[in-house]
Amino acid sequence: MPDVSIMPEPFRIGAVNVGQSVIIAWLIIAVLIILMLIARIKIRKFSGAPKGFQAFCELIVGGMRDFAKGQLGEAHVPERSAADIAAPAVFTLMVYVFATTIVELFGLPPATDDINCTLALGLCAFITVNVTAIRVRGIKGRAKAWTRPVTGVAPIRILTDCITPFSMAIRLFANVLAGGVIMKLLYAVVPVLIPAALGAYFNVLHVGIQTFVFGLLPLMYIGEAVE
Amino acid sequence: MSVLGLIAIGAGMYGLAACGVGIGMGISTAHAVDALARQPEASGKISSALMIGMIMMETVAIYGLLVSILLIFVLGGRA
Repeated sequence: MPDVSIMPEPFRIGAVNVGQSVIIAWLIIAVLIILMLIARIKIRKFSGAPKGFQAFCELIVGGMRDFAKGQLGEAHVPERSAADIAAPAVFTLMVYVFATTIVELFGLPPATDDINCTLALGLCAFITVNVTAIRVRGIKGRAKAWTRPVTGVAPIRILTDCITPFSMAIRLFANVLAGGVIMKLLYAVVPVLIPAALGAYFNVLHVGIQTFVFGLLPLMYIGEAVE
Repeated sequence: MSVLGLIAIGAGMYGLAACGVGIGMGISTAHAVDALARQPEASGKISSALMIGMIMMETVAIYGLLVSILLIFVLGGRA
């Protein structure tokens, strides 16, 4: 049987076990920060008529905003549109999830292979959802969303909302883990040719789908909370 | 029957979760295609609603898969 471990890989610095995923996550964060700095230096001044690199960046950011607007609709209240508040945070989460999962392509173990990492991401998404909902509708409005369609469903809806970070965490963790386990089992059975084809799916396409899902779900929960 | 055999049966029960998810996906895709045929201009909304439903269903399948992976590699490793 191939060696598959569910537990997070240990990584010791001195006597403290910080965990392998934390090291990978730090590496990813450093790379992302350097990339962002390069982008910031490259676009020294924002020009009104973007071209070249700036146009590319604006395409990405504008695409994310349109994606959020498509899910949440246009402004609910003028200058306090839920899409405008949530889009940057959700995009940050998506970039992080994508970067920490795609590293499997470069031979590093993915950080999202660890339930601790995904649970932290799930909590971030949960905070994003609630902060956005409270900023758009106020605390009263947030509480009122639980009483739709009738007041009696409030306990169930509160429970549903509180379970979201765990559900998102386990979804991402299980998806990445399942991909890794299936690849390992396949390597043990057929070591040549077929793993290459399936690897393209599990290491590239699957990562894209999970990133998309991880961005779509918070937007969906926000849409539910502010409608 | 050995403990390992029981664990294998339990892990194989994951097929039931996959079965339910498969039926659900079939029904929702059938209705989405139906709606598309009726109103081709609403394709964006239909496909995003279908996507959300698919994600929810896929979650159930993934939970089942997680349980079976845990059964095999955690319980199976101890047995």
